[in-house]
Parts: sequence; structure tokens; C-alpha cells
Amino acid sequence: MTGGLDIVLQVGIWGLYAGCIYILLAIGLNLIFGVMKVVNFAHGEFLMLGAYVTFTFYAISGFNPYVLLVASVPILILIGVTIERLCFRPILGTGKLNEIFISIGLIYLIQNAAAVIWTDEYRIIHSPFESITISVFGVNLPLDYLIIIITTILILIGLYLFLRKTRLGKAMRATSQNRKGAMLMGINVEKMDMISFGIGAGLAGAAGTLWVVSGQVFTPYMGSIPAVKAFAIIIIGGLGSIPGAIVGGIILGLAENFAIFTIGGAWKDAISFLILIVVLIFKPTGLFGESAE
Amino acid sequence: MKRVFVILAVLFIGLVLFAGCTENQAAVGSPQKLKIGVVASMTGPASTTGKDVWQSAVLAADEINAAGGVYVKELGKNVTIELVQGDDESTREGGQKAVSKLITQDNVDLLVGGFSSAVVSAHESTVADYSVPYIVSGASSPIITHRTDVKTDTVFHHAPTTDDSGGQTTLFIDDTIRPAINAKFGFPSDRPLRLSVIYQDSPYGKGQLDAIKKTIAASNLSINVISEDAFKMGESDFRTVLTSVKNADPDVVYVAAFLNEQTALVTQARRDVGLDKIFIAVECNDDPDYYSGIGRYGEYSIIQSRFSPYAVPSGPIEQSVNKFMSDFDKKWGGFPGMMGAATYEAVYIGANAVEDAGSLNKTRVNEAIGGTTMPQMVEAMKNETISFTPDFRESKFDLYMEQLIWNETAKETRPVIVWPAKLKETDFVIPDWFKPGQE
Repeated sequence: MTGGLDIVLQVGIWGLYAGCIYILLAIGLNLIFGVMKVVNFAHGEFLMLGAYVTFTFYAISGFNPYVLLVASVPILILIGVTIERLCFRPILGTGKLNEIFISIGLIYLIQNAAAVIWTDEYRIIHSPFESITISVFGVNLPLDYLIIIITTILILIGLYLFLRKTRLGKAMRATSQNRKGAMLMGINVEKMDMISFGIGAGLAGAAGTLWVVSGQVFTPYMGSIPAVKAFAIIIIGGLGSIPGAIVGGIILGLAENFAIFTIGGAWKDAISFLILIVVLIFKPTGLFGESAE
Repeated sequence: MKRVFVILAVLFIGLVLFAGCTENQAAVGSPQKLKIGVVASMTGPASTTGKDVWQSAVLAADEINAAGGVYVKELGKNVTIELVQGDDESTREGGQKAVSKLITQDNVDLLVGGFSSAVVSAHESTVADYSVPYIVSGASSPIITHRTDVKTDTVFHHAPTTDDSGGQTTLFIDDTIRPAINAKFGFPSDRPLRLSVIYQDSPYGKGQLDAIKKTIAASNLSINVISEDAFKMGESDFRTVLTSVKNADPDVVYVAAFLNEQTALVTQARRDVGLDKIFIAVECNDDPDYYSGIGRYGEYSIIQSRFSPYAVPSGPIEQSVNKFMSDFDKKWGGFPGMMGAATYEAVYIGANAVEDAGSLNKTRVNEAIGGTTMPQMVEAMKNETISFTPDFRESKFDLYMEQLIWNETAKETRPVIVWPAKLKETDFVIPDWFKPGQE
């Protein structure tokens, strides 16, 4: 590292990495909210489960943890579908308070279950690429971060193609835009609920895997703060807007890291909510709120 | 009708007599035991430490009971110790509930344990209301016994305070690391050491930072604190903070963090940011999980300690430390941590005080704890004695510094004691990859 620009670039990369985790979480939340109009406060627990599923398979198989995305995503989809079917569907439309308390209850249930299964000691695993660094514009960066950013982009492209090009994706978007209209057109909206919840949980599971391979520690209680950030992002980006979640995630990731660098780590969380307040004052529907999908 | 009345009368009299009998029995039967409440985080984020605290307390109580219990002169006999668990759930509110129950429902005679200064501070008012002797063996902020808003005259601090640990580590930096760097790189011997401090944004972290600055000022040390960076408790992403530290270019990075934070921080510093500096970890990190979690990235870093799973100071406590670790392993499996060690001692301190007081009366036990003079047990103490200062009721520890050296057999680093001179096993080493800071 030779000068100020290099440092800015390095902090920017850390911000993009943080943004990737936030984007995957926030898009999942947005999908669920867009289709079901449910606010799932337990969404961060899916991130945590994704991390532990990756850890477990890594411990058993010794596979490259990136490959374990093929385990964490489907398992989290399955868990998401099960939770939607058992917990949210019975109370859908019975009032927001019920949804809120169900999701808060799920936080404690999932955390405690994880603590029983994996204990509440912190865990950390090391990526097989951890010793490899590459030069990006003169800055040496661990290869893992490049892989994480590219993996996130690939997941987003896959999601875009699914939502735009497949019948199922189009049906989900239709349900998101007008639930009654979609029902009248013969779309099984309950199936759409289940699929959107599953995909939302799967995306959080992918975020959990990427969290683990980046060398961050994880415990059963790790999900709450990222979930709060994801909520801030979907409000900044606009409720239900996937482009909003992407832009919001990048803004928050960069803002947090530049805040740490300039005014100190104690401001990391405060800056997220400062941005949230500013956006709500000038654009109460969020940055992409009007063009919500 | 008359028969019904007679039956009811007999039943009534019987019930009264029965009630009387039980009350009488209870009066005759108590007190038969020394009840010690163990305040431990059995659930929540600090539960690893909490279990260690509880298990160590159980080991101490079992040992004392097996040796015949505690002699209480007033009762004219030995009583056994009964431990009562109070789970603070790793939260302030949980701690208040647990301590309130231990005191008002379980009627404990004294309390031990207490992890986290914030959690202990929150339930100190309950302890003060009932004047229960409390030997705090976890929390490290000196505020525990220094505060003036709550009466703390029944609270005894049997853990190094942040003043003690921060102070001793700073002296070590000046005494050992600074001369070694200056000699190795041909710097003038009076070149000040460049120190960066990364601290948890909590009373614990701020206490460490204050202690460093106070010690530098008080002893006029040649150390410049060139950067101070705080992070939120529980943080797991330190890359930007570390980039900021790298920009400051220190010789040494002093980290005041808990185990889960420290592991991630050092890993990210060496792996992601390429910070080729000497890292210093505070005493709560000397835990087997730290060595397994940090891997090679911990090599040559420094860890402050008072009770280590892998380094036993030679000398008077060596035998008792080995016995404690072996007994713990036999009973529970694995290693005890330092808060476990302090709690193990705290149970002995409590039992010793009851014997000295000759009574279970809380006021007399409190006075006896204040007058404790016991030989050190499994942690090295100043003057080889466990006693409490008359002003703030703090026991004083002999902390030591370990350097982590790679062990090919264990495939992990292992600590060797490098300071102070009376305990050291080997000299402090500056690794080849180390790069000193530049102006």
C-alpha cells in the first residue's frame, strides 16, 4: 500500500464485500415481503443457519466451502418452505401483530435450537484460498473477496433470469404486484408464498456460506445485527424493490466501512440509520420505492 | 351432623399439628449447609465462560465437601457446601433476575462468579440491598468496587482489573518489546515505540485504553499511542479498522477484545490486511479455542495471562495448577479457563471466610473475606497471597506475558512465558516477517 488512493480502494473493497452479504439478505427479505407482505424478523437466523450448515458439511466432508453453497442453499430453501408452511401460512392475513410475534418467537427458537445442536461457542473456518492474494489496481487483496463478489453477482444474475424469464418467476412477480389479480389469473398464490419464502431463506443461506469462507466468526446469535441492517437496506432501497436492495446494500456496505475509517468503528451501526433517516426525509418511499416490483 | 363436625374438627386439629410439626422440623434442620450462589452465564453468548465458571465452582465445592466440609464454630460442626446456580443469561436483566432469586428465594449465604462488568453492575444494587458477600471472579472493570452510586462494601473483586492488566502489559511493552525492536533494527535506544490500540467500545475496552495511557504517563514510558480505534462489542468484521491501523504504521497493535473478536481480528489482520506487526491480546483470550481458531496467524503474537491451558509457570503454584487442570479434565473433560480458575479460588475464599468468621452471619462473613490472607492457589498472586486491598477490596494478580510459538505436533501455536523475569521460560522473539513502523 503506497498512498491514500490505495487505502480508499481497499476500504472500498471491504465495503463491497460487506455489501454483498447485505444484498443477499435484503433481497431475500424483499422477495418475501413483496409476495407475502410479511415482515420476517427471523431472517438473520437463516444467515446463521447457512453458516452452520456450511460449517457442518465442511467438517464432515472437508470439501471446498464455496462448493458447499450447493448444500446450504437447498437446505435453507427447505427450511424456509417448512417455516412458511407451518408458521406463517396459518396466520397470514390475521394481522401484522401475529406475524411480528411469530417471527420474533422464531428468532429465539432457531437460536436456541442452533445452540443445542452446535453449542454456542464461536466457530471459524479457513478458506483453502486464504493464502492467495491478487493485485487489484495495485492493491493486494485476498482471492476470497473477489470470489465472494463474483459469486454474489452470479447469484443475482441467476435470480434476475429466474424472475424475468421463467413462468414461475413471472408468476411470483405478478403475485407481488397484485395478489388478487394473480389469483384471478389462476396463479396459485400460496405456492408463490412458499417459493418466495424458500428462495429468500436460500439467499440468506448463501450469505451465510460467504460469511463463513471470508473468515468471520459465527455463533448462534450472529444473525440479529445483519438482519437489522437488511431491514434498513430494504427501507432505503424501497420496500419490495430488488434493484433498491442491491443499491441499498452497496451504499450501506460502503458507508459503514468509510465511517469506520474516518470517524471510528463505534459509528458503524449509527451511520446505517443516519442514511435511513436521510432517505426517509427526502424520499419516504425509498430510493426505488415507486418502481417497486 | 355432629359426626361431620367431629370429623372436620379432627381434620383441622390434625392439619394444625402437621403444619406445626413441619415448621418445627424446618427450624431444627436449618442451617445445615453453606449455600453459595454461583452467578454464571449458563446461556447466551457468554455461556462458554459461564459453564467453565460453574464447573470450576462445583469442583471446588466437591473437594471441600470431600474433605469434611466447612467448620462453623457457631454451629459446633462441619457443614457441607451447596452450590446454587444463577444463570444471568449473559444479559443485565438476566443477571438481576438470577441474583434476586439467589438472594430472596434460595437464601444463599454468599455469591461468587459474575461475568461482564455491565452485567455485574446491573445487579450490584440487589446485592447491596441485602448486604450479601459477593466475590466477583469474572468482571474486570474496576468500577465494580469503585462506584459510589451503589454500596459495594460487600463486593470483593477477585479478578485482575483493567487497570492492572493494561498497566502490566504496557510495562512489558516498554521493558521488553521496545528494546528488542530498537536493537534488531539498529534504532536509537530511546526511539519511542509506536503503539496502536484497537479496543472494544465498552467499559472493559475503554478501561484497557485508559490504563495504557495512565501507565505511559505515570511511568514516563517511551511509547507513543499513534492510533486508537474502537469497535462495537460482538463485531466480526475488522478489515477497515485494520486498514486504518496499517495506515498509521505502528510497531505493536494492542487489542482489547474478547475471544470471538480477537480470533477474527488477528486472522483478518494477518490474512486480509497484511499487517505484519506484533499483536497483543488481553488475558481473557488465553483459551484453547483461541489457539485452535487462530492457527498460524497467531504465531509470535503476545498474550497476557494469569492462568493458561498450555503454559504453567514454574515455581510454587505449578503443582496445584497441574492438579486443578487434571481434576477438571477428569470431572468435566477439557481445560478450565481463567475465570473458572478464579471462581474455583473464590469458593475456597468463601469457605475459608466462613471458617474464620465461625458463623454464617453475612456481616461476619463479609468482615472475614475482607481480612482474608490465604496462600495463592492456582493463579499467581502478588506476594504469593490471596488478600483484598482495604480500599477497593481487590485482590492483586501476578500477570505474565506469553508468546505464541508454532508447535508442529499440535498443529497449533503454544504459549511460552516471556515475562516477567522470575517466571519466564524463554526470551521474547521478533519474527523475521515483522516490519517496524515508520514515521
